[in-house]
Amino acid sequence: MNRAVNEANRGIADRLIGNVGKVIVGKKETIELVLVSLLCEGHVLIEDVPGIGKTMLAKAVARSLGCSFKRIQSTPDLLPSDVTGIHYFNQKTSEFEFRPGPIMANIVLVDEINRATPRTQSCLLECMQEQQVTVDIQTVPLPRPFMVIATQNPVELEGTFPLPEAQLDRFLLRVGIGYPTEDEEGAILSRFQHESPLDNLASVIEPEELLEFEELCRRVYVEDSVRNYALAITRATRSHQDIQLGASPRASLGLHLASQALAAVRGRDYVIPDDIKYLAVPALAHRLICRTEARLRGRSSEAIVREIVSTVPVPVEEQPKSS
Amino acid sequence: MKTGWQKILLYAAIMGMEGCWLYAFMALLNKQVAGGRLSVPGILLLYPLAFVCNRLLQQLRWPKAGNWSVSWLAWALAMLLVVKVQMFGDLPLTDTAWLLSLHRSIAGVIYNFKPELLLLLSTGVVWWMGRRLAYLKVDFGAMLSEFQFGVSILIIAFFAVSQLSVELTNAVSVALVFFLFALSGISIAHAMEGTSWLSGLYQGHWSGLLLVSISLVLLLGLLIGSVITPDFLQLVIAAVKWVLHLILKVIAFLVSLLPRPEPGEPPPPMPAMPAPEPAEQFRLWRMPESVRSALRIGWTVMVIGILLFSLWRLSSDIFRWLRHRLAGMAGAEFEPLPGAFKADLLSLLKRMLSRLRGLRLPFRLGLKADAVLPDIASVRQMYRQFLRWAAAGGYPRHMSQTPNEYFHRLAGLLPEAEGDLDVITRQYGKVRYGASLPTEGELHRMSRSWHRVRQIRLKKKEASLNE
Repeated sequence: MNRAVNEANRGIADRLIGNVGKVIVGKKETIELVLVSLLCEGHVLIEDVPGIGKTMLAKAVARSLGCSFKRIQSTPDLLPSDVTGIHYFNQKTSEFEFRPGPIMANIVLVDEINRATPRTQSCLLECMQEQQVTVDIQTVPLPRPFMVIATQNPVELEGTFPLPEAQLDRFLLRVGIGYPTEDEEGAILSRFQHESPLDNLASVIEPEELLEFEELCRRVYVEDSVRNYALAITRATRSHQDIQLGASPRASLGLHLASQALAAVRGRDYVIPDDIKYLAVPALAHRLICRTEARLRGRSSEAIVREIVSTVPVPVEEQPKSS
Repeated sequence: MKTGWQKILLYAAIMGMEGCWLYAFMALLNKQVAGGRLSVPGILLLYPLAFVCNRLLQQLRWPKAGNWSVSWLAWALAMLLVVKVQMFGDLPLTDTAWLLSLHRSIAGVIYNFKPELLLLLSTGVVWWMGRRLAYLKVDFGAMLSEFQFGVSILIIAFFAVSQLSVELTNAVSVALVFFLFALSGISIAHAMEGTSWLSGLYQGHWSGLLLVSISLVLLLGLLIGSVITPDFLQLVIAAVKWVLHLILKVIAFLVSLLPRPEPGEPPPPMPAMPAPEPAEQFRLWRMPESVRSALRIGWTVMVIGILLFSLWRLSSDIFRWLRHRLAGMAGAEFEPLPGAFKADLLSLLKRMLSRLRGLRLPFRLGLKADAVLPDIASVRQMYRQFLRWAAAGGYPRHMSQTPNEYFHRLAGLLPEAEGDLDVITRQYGKVRYGASLPTEGELHRMSRSWHRVRQIRLKKKEASLNE
């Protein structure tokens, strides 16, 4: 890739981040991570308290891309067929016809995913991994780009069903939005005073442009030592004393792809160790299962990943012995 | 001083340095081969002649082949002139006897190394060096490599002189003149780059300061030379011998304390060997003497060729290594760094080992090439120096710190150098992780930044921050 292409990539990323930033105030890093996930055709789990702007973020991203957007509100009585679609008997034509569910969209917001039953949660596995849906005997491919943005509330656990590990592993990144600062909250109030900026949000990138950008991300160069560095971090999670189940090879692959996308978003055609470090917590922490003793001691998987990152040597020139 | 004059002085300094060791070698060969009949300064006159001639040819901008041909044609004429003047001065120019003598000496190189051949070779070498100098880009790096190479050659020449017991009366003068040229040239080259103290406050008095410095160095050399006399060295050697003798005596005494083995029965004498049968002589074809002579010449030429080729490869490797080192340290000042010598030595040994591995051609397919391009190696070398500099200042990089994190840490300590630190870090990241070749401008920018950063004393900065 040449410099002009890098600049063009940076331009696309800046356009999208800027456009979403008109609605979501001061959360550039979160928007950037959502974009990274989108470029890897991965899915994002947004975990934060209610009223932070999770749904607004998903909607703003979908509108900015000019893509189709559907929302699934997860409830305990939601059925798999409510998500995937059904075959119904059309009395006019006297034939069974397929009526697609809300999963047939480019951006799908699965709100409060942990309120759906495990049966319904599991129907998302095929959609998220293979980008297709099987109803009865028919397999239907999902549109491209396809991305699931799921949200869950980490505080309120009554009447919820924790996501199984297989489901969590399918999310490329888990991000938090966090409360805004005082200034940011003031800006939100003034922006939303008359009308929601989301209503007038225009599309800034066409889906084709996005797919082209995705192709370029795959061509971002990853030097051997940087790749080994990512592997070392992932493998360290498997031997850590506080972790019962470490990150899977899918996690390594996810970290690798996400680092390529992040480099492209930041206008580089090569990955640097900072990209790996930056993505280690969002890409790995949600896939780990901590030991009970560690949980009782108040150790979170995020803290463990941070600890691992602070001990794995970064591939730089040989350290001088005299120091 | 104007730049034009500085350039002329630099060329003169290189010419002087090379002239000194050429003189030492030629004087040695003159004594050995020609019995001191040849005039070495006369041969050395070709050096400036070759330089001027090739500079003029350079100005003409002819095609390379034409330029080369004219230059070596000029050498042939100059060589013939030198042979005529030095060896056959009494013969008229029209007499072809001296030309035949030159031809005979070349043809009989296997049997005898004649003065004519020495003249031929020495004028060739001198002409080549003059031509090389005409095309050389003189700068600090070139001066330094000339000095290093010259010192080595001069030491070898003096060693050969002492071993062959050749009378070289003006050896001290040659050494002094060599150092005079070397020190002057290095100082001027350093000053030209505008990085030495001479380009600072003392710019107005630099020539005086330079002369005083060089005089002091030479005076010191003379003083040391007058103290360490042959008698003094003999005394030191005698003392060492006496100590060794004493140690041997002690060892002999200790050995005498050990019990000696009992002498056993001598073994019976061996029976006499039967006389061998006289070998049947069978000769299919006897090689004529002329063929034998031709083969001998061919064999000698081949051996000399192999020797010259190996010498050329060896010297070109040394030069490439020197150039590589100097390119990596362009604009850098030399200062003692802990562990640097060890690292260099290990690197050299590794390279030699890899070369030896490279000889196993049939097995090379399995080996992974680990060659790094010189520009990339320069950037990485500069970053290693930067790491050592920061570590020496008390701020080593933590093993889990990325170059960017390390940059932010150092930039917090040295806000005035933030721009330079950014250039170094950014360029290193691009080369190290992006595997992209730096442009000449980028290399220069990084080199300048590193030069400015290393001027800062990190320890002092820390002290001032604490205050």
